[in-house]
Amino acid sequence: MIERIENALQIAVLLACVSVSLYRVAAGRSRMWTLLFFFYGSWVLGDIYWLACLIFFDQTPQISVVSDLSWYASYIFLYMLLRHAAPPETAGRKRVLPWTGVLFAVGMAAFFMQWGKIVSNLIYASLMALLLYSVISRFQDRKKYTAQQPLCIAVLVFCLLEYAMWTSSCFFWSEGPENPYYWFDFLLTVSFVFFLPATKKKVAE
Amino acid sequence: MNSMENIYVCLVAPFILAILCLKGEGRKGLLFLLAGMTSCLLSGYVSAFAAGLAGTDLLTSSHEIAPVVEEVMKSLPLLFYILIYEPDKKSVISGTLRVAVGFATFENVCFLTSYGTSDLLRLMIRGFGTGAMHVVCGMIVAVGLFFIWDRTWLRAVGSFALLGFVTTFHAIFNVFVNQTGAVFWIGSAIPVTMMLTYLLFFRRKTDLA
Repeated sequence: MIERIENALQIAVLLACVSVSLYRVAAGRSRMWTLLFFFYGSWVLGDIYWLACLIFFDQTPQISVVSDLSWYASYIFLYMLLRHAAPPETAGRKRVLPWTGVLFAVGMAAFFMQWGKIVSNLIYASLMALLLYSVISRFQDRKKYTAQQPLCIAVLVFCLLEYAMWTSSCFFWSEGPENPYYWFDFLLTVSFVFFLPATKKKVAE
Repeated sequence: MNSMENIYVCLVAPFILAILCLKGEGRKGLLFLLAGMTSCLLSGYVSAFAAGLAGTDLLTSSHEIAPVVEEVMKSLPLLFYILIYEPDKKSVISGTLRVAVGFATFENVCFLTSYGTSDLLRLMIRGFGTGAMHVVCGMIVAVGLFFIWDRTWLRAVGSFALLGFVTTFHAIFNVFVNQTGAVFWIGSAIPVTMMLTYLLFFRRKTDLA
């Protein structure tokens, strides 16, 4: 039951975010708002599909490719948003520190493979590695490019909450509020909202 | 040969003849429609094969397998077109819509031969529901491509992401229209509602064709 409530709450928040970003697209035809709309849209579609299966068939999707595809798409749109927000010269520099993000994603993927499917874990790890690499490399330029920092922070918090959720799901299986998975998912729901002001600040630059 | 191939042969014959006679944009438009119909035929085979492989029933495969297969099959003619001919943005966008229309048309004809033509209400729901859904999926891809077209890496990565987006939308639609009562009506109304929203608020912004 708590899973359904949590999913419904996340869908409600995301639909509000979709509406705001769609309004911004209609108002200004900005590529950043469009990418944010697709990020929110993909995520909420995955959630709606998941919840619809729970409600109408009383079970989670048997093959789960559809929801995963939707969430892969979300990560890709988020990466595109981040990449679009950063000037090309920032994205092109070679550094060592951002590779720690990639190492972290690879290590966690190896850990998660004990429980999950290999292919989906590899895809999630690749996308997370891309996001973490991009975020950390942009943090290094924080003095030069201040307008993109809120967006980078939002993406980093989003990634860390995702990892917290996935890790907790490996150790806690109860379906009550004592399961930290639901709390992290709730925090993830809250974190979605912060992409709106972060994107607004970058667009207004 | 089962009836689906017979329908296909009957339906595409005039298209093939017209394609042979026409040139330029007219030929290209018909080729996209033909590609959409062919994708629909092949989707039937691939979906049935994948459902057999996964051991799922008809209901489960309708929302877990068919959307993935259909959207991927619809994207293949466009992928071929983009990779071989390196067209401009507007050609790809109009091609996306034409493939979707061809796909929906062939699927509707197969529906007509299976369920008859006596119930107008049912046919209208089919036409403005499932038929429109394929066009809406095409529209989503077209609008997405319109915004992300400029850079090559955006185009490649974004196309995959858009495919994931429309696949989930398609799957949700299939879940809804497989229900009864209010859920069925809501599901059936989603594509037309989305299309009207686009026409009212976003058409001037995107100017697709």
